[in-house]
Formats: sequence, C-alpha cells, structure tokens
Amino acid sequence: MNHLLSFILFTPLVGALILLLVNSRNEDAIRWIANLVAFVGFVISIPLWFLYNPQNADFQFVERATWIPSIGAEYFLGVDGFSTLLILLTTLSAWTAITERVKEFYIFLLVLQTGMLGAFMSLDFLLFFLFWEVMLVPMYFLIGIWGSDNRLYSAIKFFLYTLVGSVVMLLGILALYFHNHTVSGVYSFDVTLFHKLNLPYNLQWWIFLAFFLGFAIKVPMFPFHTWLPDAHTDAPTAGSVILAAVLLKMGTYGFIRFSLPILPDASRQFVPMIVVLSIIGIVYGALVALAQKDWKRLVAYSSVSHMALVMLGMFALNPVGITGSIFQQLNHGISTGALFLIVGIVYERRHTREISEYGGLSKVMPVYAAVFLIMTLSSIGLPALNGFIGEFLILQGIFVVSKVWAAFAASGVVLGAAYMLYLYQRTMFGKIENPKNERLLDLSHREFATFAPLLVLAVWMGLYPAPFLRRLDSSVQHVIARVSPEYIQKNAAADCAAPAPALAATPTDATVAANGAAAFLATLPCGPDGRPLAASTGPGTTSGTGADIPPSASAGQTGRPGEPR
Amino acid sequence: MVPVGACLGLSAVLFGIGLIGFLSRRNIILMLVSVEIMLNAVNVSLAGFSRQLQDQRGQVLALFVIAVAAAEAAVGLGLVLALSRNRPGVNVEDLTQLKW
Amino acid sequence: MPPGITFGDFYNILPELVLTAGSLVVLIADVLLPRRSGGWLAWITLIVIGATLASLVPFRETRVEVANGLIAVDQFALFFKVVFLGAAALTVLMSVRYLEIEGASPGEYYFLILCATLGMMIMAGGIDLITIFIGLETMAVSFYILAGFIKPNQRSNEAAVKYFLLGAFSLGILLYGMSLMYGLSGTTNLRVMAMTFAGQESDPRLILAVMLVAAGVGFKIAAVPFHMWAPDVYEGAPTPITAFLSVGSTAASFAMLLRIFLEGLPSMKPEWRVLFEGLAIVTMTVGNLAALTQSNLKRMLAYSSIAHAGYVLIGVVAGTPRGVAAMLIYVLVYAFMQLGAFIVIVLMRRQDIVGDELKDFSGLHVRHPFAAFAMLMFMLSLGGIPPTAGFMGKFWLFGAAIDAGYVWLAVIGVLNSAISLYYYIRIVVFMYVKKETAGSEPTMSPALGIALAVAVIATIALGVYPRLLFELAEASARTLGAAAITTAIR
Repeated sequence: MNHLLSFILFTPLVGALILLLVNSRNEDAIRWIANLVAFVGFVISIPLWFLYNPQNADFQFVERATWIPSIGAEYFLGVDGFSTLLILLTTLSAWTAITERVKEFYIFLLVLQTGMLGAFMSLDFLLFFLFWEVMLVPMYFLIGIWGSDNRLYSAIKFFLYTLVGSVVMLLGILALYFHNHTVSGVYSFDVTLFHKLNLPYNLQWWIFLAFFLGFAIKVPMFPFHTWLPDAHTDAPTAGSVILAAVLLKMGTYGFIRFSLPILPDASRQFVPMIVVLSIIGIVYGALVALAQKDWKRLVAYSSVSHMALVMLGMFALNPVGITGSIFQQLNHGISTGALFLIVGIVYERRHTREISEYGGLSKVMPVYAAVFLIMTLSSIGLPALNGFIGEFLILQGIFVVSKVWAAFAASGVVLGAAYMLYLYQRTMFGKIENPKNERLLDLSHREFATFAPLLVLAVWMGLYPAPFLRRLDSSVQHVIARVSPEYIQKNAAADCAAPAPALAATPTDATVAANGAAAFLATLPCGPDGRPLAASTGPGTTSGTGADIPPSASAGQTGRPGEPR
Repeated sequence: MVPVGACLGLSAVLFGIGLIGFLSRRNIILMLVSVEIMLNAVNVSLAGFSRQLQDQRGQVLALFVIAVAAAEAAVGLGLVLALSRNRPGVNVEDLTQLKW
Repeated sequence: MPPGITFGDFYNILPELVLTAGSLVVLIADVLLPRRSGGWLAWITLIVIGATLASLVPFRETRVEVANGLIAVDQFALFFKVVFLGAAALTVLMSVRYLEIEGASPGEYYFLILCATLGMMIMAGGIDLITIFIGLETMAVSFYILAGFIKPNQRSNEAAVKYFLLGAFSLGILLYGMSLMYGLSGTTNLRVMAMTFAGQESDPRLILAVMLVAAGVGFKIAAVPFHMWAPDVYEGAPTPITAFLSVGSTAASFAMLLRIFLEGLPSMKPEWRVLFEGLAIVTMTVGNLAALTQSNLKRMLAYSSIAHAGYVLIGVVAGTPRGVAAMLIYVLVYAFMQLGAFIVIVLMRRQDIVGDELKDFSGLHVRHPFAAFAMLMFMLSLGGIPPTAGFMGKFWLFGAAIDAGYVWLAVIGVLNSAISLYYYIRIVVFMYVKKETAGSEPTMSPALGIALAVAVIATIALGVYPRLLFELAEASARTLGAAAITTAIR
C-alpha cells in the first residue's frame, strides 16, 4: 500500500476523465459511473482508518517523488491523524453529496474532490497551494451554473474572496521558502522542514498575516465571512454540503498544519486579535442566524458561528483546546453537511427556502423530522451526540486560558441552541398551514441511505470518541510542541486545577476520561506544586513539563521517515 | 570645422521639432514627416559623435537608419494610401472605426 | 576596425540563414504554384519553420559572439528563438482558414510572418545596437504591413496606420537614446559599453539616454503610458496577426530590453530599476482595470496583454538571474495561452461574423465543448490559476520579486492577478452559464485543431510538470548574466 494516498487522490480525477469521454446523453451510464467512482473513492480511503498507526508520531503513508527539482518542489504526500480524518470526511461527503445531475456536474464535483484531498495530503507547500487553488474553479462552476437565483454574484464573490486570500498566502509561502534557503542553503517547499525552522519574529509576523488572510477567508472568520452566506444560499445542495463539510475545514486545517507550527511566536502574538474576532464571529453569527427567514441562510450563519468557535478553541493554544477544535471541525462537517442535505430535500420538493412557507412537517414527514432532530441536537451539542464532545473540549480549553472568553463562547453555544430549536419548531411543529405542504413525501430509501452514515457517525463520535481522539493525539502533540511550551510553563500552576471540577461534574465523565483528550490533560504540566488533573497516573509531575514535549514531537517532525516505498 | 557641440545642439533642436510636430499635428502625412525629422536628428547626432570619437560605427548606424527610414516611409505611405482608398481624409481624427 | 567576418560566423548564424532562404522559397513558391493554394504555402512555411528549429539543434551548447560582437549565439537567444518559431508555427496554423475567409493573398502573408520571425531572432541575439536596430525594424515593418493586410477592411487599415505612426515615433525616441549611448561610450557593442559605463552612473546625459531607450522599449512592450496603440491595433488587425504581435513582438522586445539593460547598462541598475518598477506597477494596474470594462474580446486581450507585460517587468526589476529565468518561463508560457485564446477567436470567425465580441461566446460550451474547454484553460492560465502553466509563470515571477526584496511589488502583482480573474471568468461565464444565442457555429479545420490541441496540452502540461521548462529557463538565464560577468573580467 505504498501508493495508497495517490490512489485515493487520483481516483476521482480518473473518474472525471472517464466521464469526459462518455456521451452526455447517456444519463444512466453517467450517473452510475459517477456514483461508482465516488463510492470507490470512499472505500479505498477506509484502509487509512485501519492502517493508520496512532502510536507513530511521524507522517504516515509517505510518498515522495521529484517534481520540479530545480526549485526544490516535490510530489510529497503524507498524513497524520488529523488529515486522515479530514480525508475520510472528504470522501464520505463527496459520496453522499452525489445527486442526480448532468455530466459536467459530476466532473466538477470529482475534480473538486481531488483538489480537497490533495490539499489535505500535501506536505509540499507548493503542491498544497496547487490543490488549494484547484478547488476554486469547480466550486465556482457548481455555484455559478447549478445554483439558485443570485448564483453568478455569489459565485464570483466566493471566487474573488478566496482568490485574494490565497494569492497573498502564496507570497507568504515564497517568503518562507527564500528564508529557508538563506538559513539552510536548501531550496525546498518541504513542510516538515519548515516545521523545524526558527524564524525571526519580524518575518513570522508578516508571514502569519499573509497566511492569516488566506486561511481566515476560507474559514471564514468574522470580517471576511460575507462570501459564505451568499455562496451557501445559492449553491446547489451538493455544493453546500461540500462547502460546509470540507471546504471550510481547509482554513482551519491550514492554521493547524501551517500557521501554528511554522510561526509559533507570531501565533501567540496574534491570539488576542483572533480571539476577539472569533468571539465576535460566534455571537454575531448566532444572532444573525436567529433573525434569518431563509432556511439555508440560517444554516450558513450557524456555520460562521461554529467555525468561530473552532478558531477560538484552536487559539486557546493548549492541547485540550486544539483537540476540541479539530474534533469540532469533524462534527461541523457531519452535522452542518447533514443540515444542508436536509434543507436540500425540502427545497427539491417545494423550491423555496423561506422558513415561513413550512410548518408542521413532522406530521407528513416523520422520518425526515427525526433525522432533522438528531442533526439539530448534534449541532447544538447535546450530550451523547458528537457536537457535545467537541464543544465541551473547546470550552474546557478556553476556560483554562480565560474565563471571560469561555463565558462568551458558552453564550454562543446557548444562542446556537436557540436558533436551531427555533428553526426546528417553526418548520416541524405546529399545524400544517400551507396546503402545499400537505402532500410532501417523506424520505425515500435512497435519501435515507444518504443520511445513514452521517447518523451513525454522529452517535458513534458522541458515545465513543476515543478512536478519533487517539488518532488526533500525535497531530496535536506536533502543534503544541511548537506553539505552547512557554504557555504551559507560565500558566500551568495557576490554571491547571480549574478544569478538574468541570470534568468531574459532567455526566460523560467516564467517556471523556477514557479518551485521548484526558491523556492530554494529564500531560498538561502543572508544575511540582500543581494538582494533577483527572485520575491519571500521568507523567505530569516528573516529566510533564513543557520541556519534555519537544523530543517526542521533534521525532514526529523528522519528516523523512523511513517508510517503505 | 563644425564643433561637436553644435552638431548635438542641432540634433536636439531637430529632435524637439520632430517630437512636438508629431504630437501636435493631426495630418498623418505631416506626422510621418515629423518622424522623419526625428530620425534625421538621430542621424546628425550619430554623425557628430562618430566624428568626435573618430569611430565609424556611428556612421554605419546612421546609414542603416537612413535606409530603414526610407523603407518605413514607403510602407507608411502605402498604408495611408490603402486607408484613403477606402475612405477619404488623412487626418487621425478620421480614424474612428476603432476607439483611439 | 577589427578584421572581417569569417566563415565560422556564417555557420553560427545558420538558423537565421535557413529562415531567410526559406522565406524566399515561400515567396517564389507563391509565384510558381497555381492560385488558391494557400494551404500548400502554409505547409511550406511550416516546413521552413521546422527546418529552422532543426538548425538550432547544433547550437544547444554554443556560446559565441559572431562577427566581432554583432550577434551572440547563446542559450538565452536560443530560448527566445524557440519561442518565436513556435509562436510563428501556431500563427501559421491558425491563419490558413482565416485567410480563406478574408480572401487575402497568402504568399506575402507567410513571407512577412517569416521576416518578422527573422527580425525577432536577430533582436534576441543582438548584442550590438546596430544589429538590435536592424532586427527591430525587420520585425516592425513586417508587422506594419501584416496589421493592414486585409486591405478592403477599414478597421485593418486603421490599425495598421496607428501601429505604424506610433511604432515609427517610438523608433525615433529609441534611436535618439541609442545615439546618446553610442556617443557616451564610443561603441555600439553592449558588452564593451557595459565596461565603459562603469563608474559614470551620475552623468545626466546617460540618465537621459536610459530614459529614452526605456521609453522606446516601453512602446514596443506596450507598457503604460506608452500603450495606447495596443488596444486599437489588437482589435483592428487580422486575428492571427494580433496573436503573433502580442506574443512574438512582445517577447522579442523583452529580449531586447534584457540585452540592452542587463548586458549594456548593468552599472545603471539602480536607476533603471526605479524606472521599471514604476512602469511595472502602472502597467499591471492600468491594464487590468481597463480590461475590466471591455466587451470586445480582442480588445480585452489587448489590455490583458498590457497587464501581462507589467507582470513580466517585475522580472526586470528583480534583475537577478532568477528574475530573468522567471521572465523566460513566463514568456514561453504566455505564448501558449495567449495564442490559444486567439485560436479560439479565429474559430469563431465566419463569413459575416467577426466572432470577437463577448456575446459571440454565449453558450459555446453547448456548441463546441472542446473549444470552450480550451478557452477555459487559457483564461485560467492567463489568470494564474493552477494547475495551468500561467500559475507556474506567475508564481516564479513573484518569487523572483520576493527574492530580490521587492515584496510589495509582488503584493501589487498578486492583487492585480486577482482583479484580472474577474474579466477572465466573465468569458467563462458567457461560455458555460449564459444561454446559447444564435451565435456563430465554430468552424474547425485540421490546422486549427492541431494548433488548439498543441496550445491546450502545453498549457496544462507545463502547469502540472514544468520541470524541464524551469531547468531550461534557468540555464538560459544564466548565460545572460554570465556573459556580462565574463566581459567585465575581460
């Protein structure tokens, strides 16, 4: 399985090329091929889950080949736990998003999938950027051709916003590249090499800003979020699902993979700014969502709020926060993706997204209502569903840093419950007042089959998140080793006691304690006088200081592991 | 013997005349003439420099300039001719088919 | 005077000689062949181009100065020569049908294309003001005629006259600057000049000369504020000629620019850097902003090519071997995407429809999927979106700028390329999203098909796997820098 990643990466592209050759009138064949390719794409990505070794801190499944040797760019793929999960999320959502459409639609979707997968796999910065940009065009078409009313405007807005961010990011990459050359004398875009660089602060500051623009627009963070509601609203269902489930994760992935480990000093410096923007994003997104009359727009704004929470957790810059942030990204992908599918289903039947047009749907569409309910609860973070774990970890991570921030974040969670439940109440409960809704069909088997994996995942990740958290372990270690040793030493004594009661008070105490995040809590050093967290035998007191993390992490950063080729 | 400074001065004056003529005239033929004056300014200065430096390359270049100027004039007049066949008038204001 | 020219000198300019002879063959064949044999002439022209390309092969490693420093035969020149010949070949391929529709006589047309190519090759090799001037005029006069080649067409006439007037005017300015350079250095050879100029940077006459030459070259590459001829000429000239003009002439002018400034005036680098920095910024920005509002595709591509000249100028500002390499890469990449876009426009040409208005492209996707796909690739490439070649070109230009410390120039560059996407995408919207109108049915011919396929494949292949291009460009750029250094030592 030396080339597993390449297979996963190029299966959709090959599928797209095959489709290109099929006569566009032959709709059956096209649909079959597209579904088959998407399904195969998902199936061959499953081995990643089983073959990934959480004990191994290195990037795994590494593939390396020369690409443009004269400038040091390589075809360099590899994954850690974080990207493994995102890859699985991508292939899964691409599979579920495939709906009955014309040939070009499938082609663009499959090309988009290749772009997303490539971005998650690339360990060469230029290669990453290539895939990152490749995603723009098919997404533009998905919105621009198959979107609703305002599609051209939304599409170009999406396109230009993202483009501006990413071209500025490109300059950051180049600055990094040339600096690396002056320091090491090697021309290389190798990300694992960059992870070991100690850049001068001034340079870090500028590069961080360049990266920030690229990633923050994609996330999207507060002042840059305006493209998202438009794009989501006008995109076809499949586009919205992919956008919500995977594309937005590109931004947060970028922060965790590139900004934090490569630019640790600048990252710490920018914490206040990002925290303020995130808090604004959380509250603002939630409030705007509360006021929406358009179903899809509401979900879009909920995305803004949720992603801001993800950013906040990440920039708590401690293991719990970052674990929670990553976990919440997966949750967001599942629940928001599902919510867009849910909107899509009624939109297909009624061709309107006005919430006021609906009401009492639970009477005619009971199965649909049940699915919607589970996803709503998952989205607002009810215990026993996935959203809870993520939100809990994030809040815990933030709480350690600042209680005020945590209070704001919690208010966002409360508001989240408000707008989602309000939406549910308006659409599902009450009497059917609109006669057009009386004869709506419930979910077909095919539609239910689409939701099934998402439902399973939501429950699984809520009840037994340990396998997921275990896989995130090394990724988080990586980041923390670079970004937080100082932070840990400074604050540990003061704050480490705080999370313990919160942890003990939760009903899912056992679950949490058993998972990887709890292990992190244990390694969160408290100094000789600090009380150890949770009931672990943790290495906390003796070796759990910030200083012991770099060795283990730098082992993870060697980047040229002796993987069999 | 004419001092080099005078040659260069003459050349500068000619060049200025040509430049101003080209920019202010609106008749294509006269603009062409202005360009020819500019090229001749170049020739004068090349000849002057060549004399000063005791080096023939300048004169060689000047000869080439004269030859090329003749070719350009021939082509240019041909183009103007083709233009005026299709439509009367040889002023640039008449060139309105394309946004100027 | 140094002693005369040897037989070896003639051998070293073999490609130019082959091309000259070949162009005469085309002219004679036009007389000998029966009328209406434009297709045959096109193939003969292609064979001539192929023979010239083949005759370049022995000179892969050569680095000599011919005829006591009139022409340099080096990899830098070689790279450009390949670009010119490739562009000429694609131009010929797209001209066959076009000439039939326009009913123009093909003999002189192909002859002039070969002449223009010859001029470009001399420009790229010239390291003496005399040769550069002759090359420039061989190219320019050919283009004056070609621009007005469709004699009954008023737009073509007008384009030719405008191009001629401004071209001649810019020639006057350039020559005046050259005469000053000659007077101040006492030589016309650029490499000797570089040595004499070392140490007299502050001479105001020299600065005046630099400015005049820069302005003259600025006209040729259509840098703002010397760009006003470009949109009119691009719109009015026959489409294949517009394509060749925008690729070949611009590339040759950049070669000339690099020769004059990097080989002839390296000691003036701080001065001309400032000059080109300003030119680059204004050119990119004005070109892109003006292109935003155009509804005629040829005109839009004219403004876009102005903007692209601005990007390439970034490489001049960097002035490093890396900058030059980036320029070479961009020039080659640009040749394919720009020519490709014009090939698609030629496809749209029918008896009654010019096919260069934006609305002619409505729903092209339905009418001719391959042409639409090709155009999509060219537009993305022009906009610098991976995985197309244009991305690699821009990426390395901006990289060279950052490497040379011109970060903010790179910032302006990338923001401009984001702006440019707006109008490139507009064409894509017309092709893919807008409903089909009663537009012209694209007419494919074998020659056009070959040309289009070559352009598309090159645009994608160079974007995905540009290894060879990067290596060649870097090797070529190094010869330019190294030559200046060896001369300095001598």
